Amino acid sequence: MRRGVCSFVLMAIGIAAAAFRGGGARSLLASAGPPPASNVEVKIDNFSFGPATVTVAAGTTVTWTNRDDIPHTVVSDDKVFKSKVMDTDEKFSFTFAKPGTYSYFCSVHPKMTGKVVVQ
Amino acid sequence: MTSLSKVFDPQTVLLAKHAQHVVLVHFPIALFLTGVAFDWAGRWTRRKALVETAYYNLLIAAVSTLPVLVTGLLAWQFQLEGQKLKGILLLHLVLGCASSVLIGTVWWLHFQARRRGAGVSGYVWMAEAAGVAVVGLTGHLGGFLAGVNVG
Repeated sequence: MRRGVCSFVLMAIGIAAAAFRGGGARSLLASAGPPPASNVEVKIDNFSFGPATVTVAAGTTVTWTNRDDIPHTVVSDDKVFKSKVMDTDEKFSFTFAKPGTYSYFCSVHPKMTGKVVVQ
Repeated sequence: MTSLSKVFDPQTVLLAKHAQHVVLVHFPIALFLTGVAFDWAGRWTRRKALVETAYYNLLIAAVSTLPVLVTGLLAWQFQLEGQKLKGILLLHLVLGCASSVLIGTVWWLHFQARRRGAGVSGYVWMAEAAGVAVVGLTGHLGGFLAGVNVG
């Protein structure tokens, strides 16, 4: 009987360890911390960035796509990133390695502003 | 700083990115179009006062193209760091330069005619018409770039 209990406990530990090495552990950690690093899209349309503020995890790549009829740029206030002039359907990507708040604007239309919050 | 004091703050006005170009560009456009209108009206009615008015409108239009050109080129250099232009921005730059040349040429033709003490040649209206067309197209592109079409 005692041997059976020990075998059951060992088997349970083994299953738990296997689960911890797999996706289960990742999902547990992800729910506790910042959103997982991935790709995030920001659309430029009708003279605005959408969404105007995105919150991402460190290591995330943000891609801006110009869906407007006219050229726009994406330039951070502190010059951390800076795109070329993007015509319609052109894209610009930047990977945010460090946590912080990155405010940016369009240098052709400085009233267009947005923000990336990196956790 | 309140919004009213911001309007009269020199730093806000002078360092307003490339807003100066957008403000100044209205002067040569309005003066040139008015000058051409006065010139054509003067020739049609044979009233010298209208032709004189046209000359001074064209003179100030030609002079006012200089700050517009300078602020436009500075905006390109500072806001876009002189990067290679394409599409609407490139077309706006090319047509803007063409507009300035045409406005200057029209004024110069009137200036030469005044120096000779004669009326302007008959073909000057063609240069004026071309100027109106190019200025109008440049302004249209500028307005599109500035977002006046945003609904």
